[in-house]
Amino acid sequence: MSDVVLAARNIGVRFGGLVALDEVDIEVPSGALVGLVGPNGAGKTTLFAVLSGLLRPVKGTVELLGRDVTKMSPQARARMGMARTFQHLELFHDLTVRQHVVLAYRVRHSYSRLWRDLIDLRGFRRPPREEDRRVDSLVSLLGLESVAEVPVAALPLGTTRRVEVARALAAGSAVLLLDEPSSGLDPRETQQLSQVLRTIVDAEGVGILLVEHDVGMVLGLSSMVTVLDFGRRIAVGTPDEIRQNEQVKAAYLGDSADTDGSVA
Amino acid sequence: MLQFVIAGLVVGGIYALASAGLVITFVSAGVLNFAFGSIAYSVARTYYYLHVQHHWALLPSVVFCMFVIGPALGAFLFFVLFRHLALASTLVKVVITIGLSVALPPIVVLLFGDMQIALAPGIAPQPVHIFHVLGAAISMDQLLVYIFVAAILGIGFAVLRFTDAGLGVRAMVDSPAMTSLSGGNPSRISLAVWMVSTFLAGVCGMLLAPIIGLSASAFTQLIAAAFAAVVAARLRNLGVAIAVSFAIGVAGSVLQYWLPPASTLTTAVLPSVPFAFIVVFLVYHIVRAGRVAEGEGVGGALDRAIVPHGGARLAASLEKASGGGVDPRISTWAPIVGFAFVLVLPNLLHPFWVGLMAQAVATTLFMLSYTLVTGEGGMLWLSQITFAGVGALVSAQLATRHGWPVLLAVLVSALIAAAMGTFLGLVTLRLGDVYVALVTLTAGLLMEGLVFTRPVFLQNGVGVVLNRPHFANSDKAFVYLGLAAIVLVSFLIINVRRSTTGLALNAVRWSETGARTLGISVVQMKLLVAGLSAFVAGIGGAFLGMQGRVALGDNFSVYFGFVLLTVVVTIGIRSNFAAIVAGLSFVMFPQLLEEWLSPKWIQLTPILFGIGAIQLAKHPNGVMVEQMHENGRKVTALLRRLSGRGPSEGQPQPADPPEQPATVVS
Repeated sequence: MSDVVLAARNIGVRFGGLVALDEVDIEVPSGALVGLVGPNGAGKTTLFAVLSGLLRPVKGTVELLGRDVTKMSPQARARMGMARTFQHLELFHDLTVRQHVVLAYRVRHSYSRLWRDLIDLRGFRRPPREEDRRVDSLVSLLGLESVAEVPVAALPLGTTRRVEVARALAAGSAVLLLDEPSSGLDPRETQQLSQVLRTIVDAEGVGILLVEHDVGMVLGLSSMVTVLDFGRRIAVGTPDEIRQNEQVKAAYLGDSADTDGSVA
Repeated sequence: MLQFVIAGLVVGGIYALASAGLVITFVSAGVLNFAFGSIAYSVARTYYYLHVQHHWALLPSVVFCMFVIGPALGAFLFFVLFRHLALASTLVKVVITIGLSVALPPIVVLLFGDMQIALAPGIAPQPVHIFHVLGAAISMDQLLVYIFVAAILGIGFAVLRFTDAGLGVRAMVDSPAMTSLSGGNPSRISLAVWMVSTFLAGVCGMLLAPIIGLSASAFTQLIAAAFAAVVAARLRNLGVAIAVSFAIGVAGSVLQYWLPPASTLTTAVLPSVPFAFIVVFLVYHIVRAGRVAEGEGVGGALDRAIVPHGGARLAASLEKASGGGVDPRISTWAPIVGFAFVLVLPNLLHPFWVGLMAQAVATTLFMLSYTLVTGEGGMLWLSQITFAGVGALVSAQLATRHGWPVLLAVLVSALIAAAMGTFLGLVTLRLGDVYVALVTLTAGLLMEGLVFTRPVFLQNGVGVVLNRPHFANSDKAFVYLGLAAIVLVSFLIINVRRSTTGLALNAVRWSETGARTLGISVVQMKLLVAGLSAFVAGIGGAFLGMQGRVALGDNFSVYFGFVLLTVVVTIGIRSNFAAIVAGLSFVMFPQLLEEWLSPKWIQLTPILFGIGAIQLAKHPNGVMVEQMHENGRKVTALLRRLSGRGPSEGQPQPADPPEQPATVVS
């Protein structure tokens, strides 16, 4: 197995008297796609918030690239190499598709430009060739060329989901957390997105943690799957193992669920 | 002592009515009504007009103003304005109520005449009867305040708790969407709430008039004290708001008992009491919850889910803002040609008008601070005028009292304003939009009352001399100095906009969560824009001081800041050239009205700009900027037709953007 880029161990989260996460472990190797599934209220989004630093756990640790980041802010984790998308989009409506990617690239590769640009007037000059190349390749990889100069507010949901992924990749991340990226997409768009995710894992070599309600998509794409229920991890294994797991069937999949995960 | 407690309970009772009126409109309509003071003033002035100027009998005047004019004003405002704001952002709603607060008083002045009214009768028969209870004197006016407050709060509580109408209002507070789905009528309930709120404003106005006289700015300032109670109540807890209102009233009065009378300390400390409450409660809320944002407590999950943050409407607005469809050459050259025209104006105009231009360029410099903080940063700061005041007052101290070169003094004073802005940015980091507006308003009022009135700045009301640089002593030279400063600041803003900094600012503006998970420090970005905009405001203030050759705190009142904000919002909050037009319009337009019509019509200026700001929901980029872009599109189309390329050649026509499903910013 490849190196583990993200690991959460023994994570516990409480909201008052409610145990949202109880001793949950999860690992994401580099160059692999790990699925995270579970019924509503299982704790998937809470775990994502803990991993990305938006929520601090009452116990447990989060390690990014072998370093304990449990107490680090979201922006510090982002600069170390973690990026995420949101179920409810967190895009910057005024910015074009390309500007999203450019901003993410610069935050990761030349953060000081956030201040230096004010003084050295670099905003008036052409961007470095390397930046242009990387931005163009990501825009192309995600199939966004035709809308590159369009403000994201004018784009349909399926396209904006791809913008979030492009932005996350531009940050040069070692690990990507994708929170229900197919939410609101039609079957054709879901299929396109699945292809994009496969390409990213193969071409970019990043580790992806995918939370999804579309079980077919998760089981079709993932090399490993973790299942949560009521804040506890009830199963972890390959897609085939998960399909056969009686506890998972009882809690989540059911007997007749379409879980073949066929992805073109 | 009892006498002071009685007086404190009177003021506290009026605050309680005001805070109740503010809370009910916020929880039911999501609007924190910054125009509450202006509405109170308008009803009170109408009462004065009928009862004193037209000798209506007391009872008909009171009944007509309190029960007809107040609620009717609420119904009118609801139908023409507030019912259209359901889906507007918090920032837009606040600016619109500020526009209303600016437009209403001059409308009243136009209707009823411009009079300085220091002594206004209350609703008690004259001469006012005095009662004696336990050795303390209670006037009939004070007694009526107690009776009104007790009756209104008692009836309000009973209606909310025990009637179907009250149930409807409480359901609306929890979720307008669910109320609607359950067969209720949110519009009717909102109408009733607005009528009750303006009724309360009217009652406050009529009860306050004998205490503070009739002045729109005094009303705004005093009602702003009720914001302290509203902050304590986290904008929605009626009981807490009322209790804290009484506490503020009594605390202020008891302090007055303990502090030495006729001392400058007393006159400075007393108006600060409500703001001390704001600071205490904000710190308490932040320590308890980590962050204070208005959205957390408003509406149910369904209501939050249907608030649009994208879609064709927003896309169309952005398209208008960016001047989409306009030939880039026109977008580039139109402001340059416009600026060139402004450059030659001092050589064409009569010296009188050049003098006005000097004032206009100084005002423009100040307005560019709004372009930065609100246009680029997306934050509504109501204390920009205070930073301008700091710029002027400190420049005068350094240049006139300490003999510094004036331009160095201006630079240093602007740096001091920037430091203050950065500090205020730090204080407001964990606050939502409405709280930021409230805290910056509070800071402005505090500075206005506590600092600007210090003898060292006030100099018996004449201020401190602030001379212009010797090379810019004439109005014409000063205009060119101001225009040079405008070019520099505009260049700074354009650079911010085009740079990585601008992209990051934009990111923070639209989604703090998205920006943070991208690796952007929201703290750094907010402090940057706060400091820069305060710096620009400080420069603008110093130029305003130099233009009038005196630095006086009275020229930098928060209310005046409201007026300037409405002007720049009306013309265009995100355009440097619009700021120049705003400065020229604000200064020249009243003079033109006076020349063409009569001095009375000067009042039209704040009315028009106030109404312009009210249009913000419809024209988020400013009326003038959107019109300029529209004209640009027409000229582009005309040029294409003339060149034979036609609209469809050269580049494909974009299809209508598809409507994006509503998304939620968590």
